[in-house]
Amino acid sequence: MYLIFLGVATIMAGTFVLAFMASLKVDPLEKPFRIYFDQLNPAAWIAAARLGQEGGGDALWGGFSPGAKVDFSVTYAAPADTPIVEPKAEVPRRRPGSGIAAALMRDYAADYASIALKSSSAATMQVRNERGVREEWQTRTFAYEITYSTDRPNGPRIERTPFNLTAPPSQTLIDSPISPSRSERRGRLLSWDNITPGALGLIFNNYRRVINETADLQTGKSLFGSWLVNSFVIAIGRLVLTLVVASLAGYALARLKFRGSRLLFAALLFSMTIPAQVTFVSNYLIFRDLSLLNTPWSVIVVFVASANVLLMKQFFEGFPREIEEAAIVDGANRFQVFCKIVLPNAKPALLVNAILAFQGAWNDFFWPLVLITSPPEALTVQVGLLSLRRSFGGAQGDWGVVLAGAFISIVPVIILFVLFQRHIVSTQAAKGIT
Amino acid sequence: MSRGSSEERSGWLFILPFAISMTLFFVYAIVRTAYYSFTDFDLFKAPSLVGLSNYAALVSDELFLIALRNTIGFSLIVTTVQTVLALALAVLVNHAVRARGLIRTVFYLPSIMSSAAMTLIFLWLFQRDGFMTAIINVVLAYRPHILLFFVGFAALQGALVLNARRSYEGVSIFDPFFLLAAAAGALALVVACALVGLLPVFANDLLISWLNTQQQFLFMPVTLWSVALMNVFTTVPTLMLLFLAGLQSIPSDLYDAAEIDGANAVQRFRHITVPALRPVTFAVVTMGIIGTLQMFDQVAILGDAAPLASRVTLAYYVYENAFPAGASSRIGMASAAALVLGILTIAVVYVQKSVGVKESAE
Repeated sequence: MYLIFLGVATIMAGTFVLAFMASLKVDPLEKPFRIYFDQLNPAAWIAAARLGQEGGGDALWGGFSPGAKVDFSVTYAAPADTPIVEPKAEVPRRRPGSGIAAALMRDYAADYASIALKSSSAATMQVRNERGVREEWQTRTFAYEITYSTDRPNGPRIERTPFNLTAPPSQTLIDSPISPSRSERRGRLLSWDNITPGALGLIFNNYRRVINETADLQTGKSLFGSWLVNSFVIAIGRLVLTLVVASLAGYALARLKFRGSRLLFAALLFSMTIPAQVTFVSNYLIFRDLSLLNTPWSVIVVFVASANVLLMKQFFEGFPREIEEAAIVDGANRFQVFCKIVLPNAKPALLVNAILAFQGAWNDFFWPLVLITSPPEALTVQVGLLSLRRSFGGAQGDWGVVLAGAFISIVPVIILFVLFQRHIVSTQAAKGIT
Repeated sequence: MSRGSSEERSGWLFILPFAISMTLFFVYAIVRTAYYSFTDFDLFKAPSLVGLSNYAALVSDELFLIALRNTIGFSLIVTTVQTVLALALAVLVNHAVRARGLIRTVFYLPSIMSSAAMTLIFLWLFQRDGFMTAIINVVLAYRPHILLFFVGFAALQGALVLNARRSYEGVSIFDPFFLLAAAAGALALVVACALVGLLPVFANDLLISWLNTQQQFLFMPVTLWSVALMNVFTTVPTLMLLFLAGLQSIPSDLYDAAEIDGANAVQRFRHITVPALRPVTFAVVTMGIIGTLQMFDQVAILGDAAPLASRVTLAYYVYENAFPAGASSRIGMASAAALVLGILTIAVVYVQKSVGVKESAE
């Protein structure tokens, strides 16, 4: 029985782990799907750190800057009777990806790099052929040195150093500091997107690309960054407003008798069942007439905090009445009672509501989609993911960037969850019972 | 001034912010939607009344009918499957596990993630040459192995249980120790046969269109089945924990008494578990219906990755009519469809509620 529980948990967690691993890969759609690749291989991290240090003086994020001297040695193998020829090496003029930022790229490593073959050495190795018989194969190691042109001491720092090797298909690559990103023409052409990645640059290449390649064509500023900021502003705004509205209304519904309270409560329950799509035309028009479209204000304000009010009402109903009545006998008015006595004691409920409001606003997709459509940097991160999918996940199939974006977008909620796990779990349970 | 009227006044002051947002963004919005549904409004020129022609247009709009069918089908499938699955899993693990710590965290994880991020992860899984396709390919390639495993498993288990029953009474067919032994045996059998080369591996290189397809499966497009799979995946663990909480609040004396009276497991489930879980079940089903009828985000994020007719739902139809790509808005149509969606939601929740009340009165 434990097994079933663990099984379900494994399927759940497994999917996320798998997707996260894929978000690190160069090509998440690679076939067959490998679980073992450079980004998960500590030996490759060390090599990448060395290459990054040599290339850009930065073992973490790499690069290619003046003074660089990068040692990159590759080993080919071939059957004993086939000669191993020296591969043709070049630093190609290649854009980093398919995004808008590729159009903004000005400097190419190709214009500053020169390649020299420093040495080559031969050796032999044992290989089992298809019939399982041991065969003697010859191997050759070529050590290249890629240097930044010495006559350009003030040249720009370039983020990536692409690298190509062309060799006959009869010889196969058996060793290189980091694996090639692509292999074309039956292994004849091997290409590396970046031979100076640095350790983090190797592992989190897709994450760096999300930030760098979703840039605004005019300003060159990262769009993903401003989407994150927008989402934060909206979530915090919604949180504050929710707390004020929900605690006031929850208290009124729980404690005070006034005409119309039953009607409002009925409307509250009713509003929890009606989809936002039913009411959105009118709300859209309200903000259009106030010219608040495409501002964070519209998304912050447009909500009916029914679930939050309900939670607060339930909390206040369980709150002992006697303390309040004593204060009222002492001459305090309702508002003073509320501020001085009730609110300070309502911290747990307020916390739960704050978490709920933040999470709801951060994850909200529909209202930002309707109310904020332009300019590109005004979107929230959830709607931004949609445009990320459109520009990378379509025909290009550049899913690494899309998945990386999705994982960045869930980080705040995950942090919230880790910090307040107990409260969130009890809230979810309460949501179910009410 | 009397106590009552002062309370009346402060009550209204306290509730004012909520009342304003409720009136403006909900009540007024619904009334205005109802009004627009009788007009030919397009966001720019002043609306003029056109009577019921929007509704007539809806009924003759094929896309609307598809959206209606998709929505109802999707809601039915997902609500049923997720409730049944969650209940079944909860009952299965109830005795062994008090959900705690890491496992519980893992189970709540999908429910706190945004639908946008979840959808993207699933879009990746469901690519034509993606992971799901790869799994299907592996299963197809090794189908003799899998078949042999299950046949061997059933045979071994049967043999073990029959053998045990000869010596002593009351060995269950699902005796967990025998299950493990049979599984290990069947696995060994498969490995042995594969090593000797008795089992052929079928080579195949399928590309399955999970999303970008016009195909129908039963009464729903394949695309929506894929979305349904994802929805079930994200909701079942959380719902299962809700059921577990409900199960753990049932006093165990009830079961003990029933067992002494000679009730078997099925009877105990029907007459104790199901009635005791009724409030939780009601909440789960209601939440499921409301959630699935509003399904919008996944469809919107799918976007041009799937043909419109294969993914359109009522909620998306409303949005698509209000902001059509490359055409002027049809607010009238959108509002009429929105009202249909709203009424459908209320009707389904109401029916569910009245059925639920009747059951609990038994």
